[in-house]
Amino acid sequence: MRVSGSDAVRIGEAISRRKLSPRQLTRATFCDNQGEPIDDGLAVAFRASASYTGEDVVELQGHGSPVVLSMLLERCLELGARMARPGEFSERAYLNGKLDLVQAEAVADLIASGSKSMARAALRSLKGEFSRRITKLDEEIKAIRVQIEASIDFADEAEAFLDAEGVEVRLRALEAKIEAVISEATCGAALSKGLRLVLAGAPNVGKSSLLNRLVGLERAIVSAEPGTTRDILNEQTLIAGQQVELVDTAGLRSTLSEVEAEGVKRARAAIAEADVRIDLWDASRPETRGVWPPAEAGQIVIEVMNKQDLVATKDTSCLGISAKEGAGLGELSREIERQVIVAHGEPTFLARTRHLEALKHCREALAMALREHQSSNALELVAEALREAHTALAEIVGLTTTEDLLSEIFRNFCLGK
Amino acid sequence: MVGLTAEIIVIGAGHAGVEAACAAARMGADTLLITQSIETIGQMSCNPAIGGIGKSHLVREVDALGGIMAMAADAAGIQFRVLNASKGAAVRATRAQADRGLYRTAVRAAVERQANLRLVQQEVVNLIFEDGRVVAVETALGITYGAKTVVLTTGTFLGGIIHVGRASHAGGRAGERPATQLAARLRELGFQVGRLKTGTPPRLDGRSMELDRMTVQPSDAPLPVMSFLGTSDAHPTQKPCHITATNQHTHDIIRAAFGDSPLYGGRIEGVGPRYCPSIEDKVVRFAARASHQIFMEPEGLETHEYYPNGISTSLPFDVQLALVRSIRGCEAAHITRPGYAIEYDFLDPRGLTPWLETRRIKGLFLAGQINGTTGYEEAAAQGLLAGINAAGQVAGREPWAPSRRDAYIGVLVDDLVTQGVTEPYRMFTSRAEYRVLLREDNADARLTPKGRELGLVSDERWHVYNARQQRVSGLTGTLRKTRITPNSAPAKRIEAMSGSKITNDISAFDLLRRPEVGADQLCAGLQAMSAANDKPDALPQDWEQVKIEASYAGYIPRMEREIEQLKAREATPIPKAFNYHTISGLSAELAEKLSAHAPANLAEAARIDGMTPAALSILLVYLKRDVAA
Repeated sequence: MRVSGSDAVRIGEAISRRKLSPRQLTRATFCDNQGEPIDDGLAVAFRASASYTGEDVVELQGHGSPVVLSMLLERCLELGARMARPGEFSERAYLNGKLDLVQAEAVADLIASGSKSMARAALRSLKGEFSRRITKLDEEIKAIRVQIEASIDFADEAEAFLDAEGVEVRLRALEAKIEAVISEATCGAALSKGLRLVLAGAPNVGKSSLLNRLVGLERAIVSAEPGTTRDILNEQTLIAGQQVELVDTAGLRSTLSEVEAEGVKRARAAIAEADVRIDLWDASRPETRGVWPPAEAGQIVIEVMNKQDLVATKDTSCLGISAKEGAGLGELSREIERQVIVAHGEPTFLARTRHLEALKHCREALAMALREHQSSNALELVAEALREAHTALAEIVGLTTTEDLLSEIFRNFCLGK
Repeated sequence: MVGLTAEIIVIGAGHAGVEAACAAARMGADTLLITQSIETIGQMSCNPAIGGIGKSHLVREVDALGGIMAMAADAAGIQFRVLNASKGAAVRATRAQADRGLYRTAVRAAVERQANLRLVQQEVVNLIFEDGRVVAVETALGITYGAKTVVLTTGTFLGGIIHVGRASHAGGRAGERPATQLAARLRELGFQVGRLKTGTPPRLDGRSMELDRMTVQPSDAPLPVMSFLGTSDAHPTQKPCHITATNQHTHDIIRAAFGDSPLYGGRIEGVGPRYCPSIEDKVVRFAARASHQIFMEPEGLETHEYYPNGISTSLPFDVQLALVRSIRGCEAAHITRPGYAIEYDFLDPRGLTPWLETRRIKGLFLAGQINGTTGYEEAAAQGLLAGINAAGQVAGREPWAPSRRDAYIGVLVDDLVTQGVTEPYRMFTSRAEYRVLLREDNADARLTPKGRELGLVSDERWHVYNARQQRVSGLTGTLRKTRITPNSAPAKRIEAMSGSKITNDISAFDLLRRPEVGADQLCAGLQAMSAANDKPDALPQDWEQVKIEASYAGYIPRMEREIEQLKAREATPIPKAFNYHTISGLSAELAEKLSAHAPANLAEAARIDGMTPAALSILLVYLKRDVAA
């Protein structure tokens, strides 16, 4: 983990409880705010003049499990750091003159791909009910802002925009809701597991064998009979330190059995939802190539030819492996790693931390709105706090502009003398 | 036929034109103000009121920069109110009902008093250019007037068409000719022209109404004041407004007449404002409402005419009469002037620089409704800014425009030139991100020093300003130093008056930050202490000022962080010819939007809709490369 900026050394020293000298590796026990150890690791500081970003930098090297990493991250945030935006370290390095100016394009690409991967990670981390609840929260904040802004800007109108008790009751309800969302997000139950890597292909091209290889255990039933996998099989594994959900699917073919037809239908749905897809075909049966549905927007597809041991001449237009004999698997897993790291740099737990940070910021701003409402008659300060709460949530659900608010005001209220 | 030459020509003498001409002349430029009619200088074409929420903020800013609107409102105001009085100072706003005649007289007097400013009564029909610069204007009589810069303020006159029922005719205002030739000329020149619409209600004779059957709404006490130099004893006699309302019968009359409505018959193509709908619109859009409020606003002290604010309409005259007479207190009302809708041309303000010069033609500045805004205050603010920069350009100065963090004027022009308009643009406080900093009470502190530097601020105003600042900062210093200890005599008095408990040693300033502690209570509480007597010259309004600043003090650091980011972005210019399409990592859609808006700096780019933090970072990276290259 890397921390950059004028407070980096202070934060690094607070976590490692050691004095950090420039460019010296220091062994340390990283501790949380109670002094309880999080991880044993190494810490090193760099002065601005000799660092990657051109600012003071501290690097904390731990043992890399997502859980430990997220605790360490949490501690940095407590100490005043914020999450870097995608590609921000390179951006800073570039802006501080630490990177060659001709690298603009590379840095821009890094930012762009990083932000795409962040957006995808956000989608993954926010599936289903949880996402709906945050959207609902956003809508409720907007609704109350509409009333308050209207009552400020149209005070001379005969409309009753709000009554004092209503605002308080609604702010309290909002606070309770965001509290519930935060505690749920903290225990992680509502969040999905991580990156989805889906194996896709015609029956009997070796998807299940490959899954077993990748997971390293005999999870799927492997059989020479086509169509053995009739439902979706999921496995969790770590690739490049990231949690990846491996998904095996039923073979894609038009089929006679009703059970299998349902399996194919589910397979297509799983393939559509994949972040990374391995499109597998059988070298001995060229007709199994190209049965895959077209890639979804932003989906990464790795085409792999299996059973290369069965043919004499290799097709070099894509990666060749033999799941049965293990040939080419090293190359494949490096390719998967590369795709997972480079294009999907943002692990889910980071996305989740980002969301938690936004939600907590939102909660604090809501609490401030409530305090302002109770202590003063300055409605514009309540409005100010609510604007902040709304902006915090915008990190997750997108920005509501003044124009959006005004449109809502004009739609809801009859205004204009 | 050559008339004469001046340094600056201002075309149009409404609220924008007058401020533009006076500002330029105050800055020492030889200025010519050309209007179709000298008699209608400073005419209020719509409702007889100045100020209101968001708008009075603009008026105070114009005043802080030496403009004339606030002083004219003080001289003409016959009913003054403070809106949002129960809320915090940031959104408190002053509104003045003005006597039209007195207002016109005050504005005319200010124009005639102004040195370096000459008047011409002519209709301008053509602009003359040399090498992409405007060099002269030509009038309908064929006279040419030469100038180095020109400020165009056409109001609703540009291609104006007036609608009443099924009848329509070309007109700039009731009874006045439109600027048709000039409109055609501007279209020829390739400006992006759009149509907007606005409307007025019928005017009523007060003697034909029973005002005592309506709710009376008098001025506030103490009488509010608009200008930093104004005093309430300079206001004319006060005259109240009255409030009545439409009813179901009124709405039935309107519904029955939709066939004759130019709005609903498709004869009006211009877009009207959502916040100032005609009564036809209100009845359609809010069909469930049984009643709509009407403010009966007096037109002046020497006239019986009233302006029924809330029933703007372009229905046929007989329908107008019937609907008016269905209203409580108006059963026998006489209509002195029918209401009408007016459509007019505006030029897409995205073609302007932040200092209101057209990008297409150098030396040509636009202000007021021609830029798609509505309202006297919005017009005055733009007029002032255009005048300042027209004069500045002649004098070889750098252009100046306040930023969004400095002034509502900054919010206004920034919104216009970066976002454009889809309906007549009106100011709202919710448009200002830094609302708690941009208040009526501190408009002088925000702008008067800049105004002085620009040559806009008279010695008198400068003296008043400095005296006030000194008293307020002196008092603030004293209150910061003054400690109040629990159970002391002042503490007990303040506790008794405010109900606020003093349990720890606290500075008087921090005590003032508590919402429940009023400035007057603290002042009274401190009477006993000698420290407070160090500042015997502090006035009650100075105490109020310190109270306001104390209440917002906690918000300032956060705002300033935001402002720092804004400043950094504003300080990152984007070259005009920047090619967004060659930037890798920007979506085609965003590159398209950026090309269309051509933001002058990163701050403007950040406000384009659909902009993301990642896209901004990418832009920054490329800008850095291009600057270094």
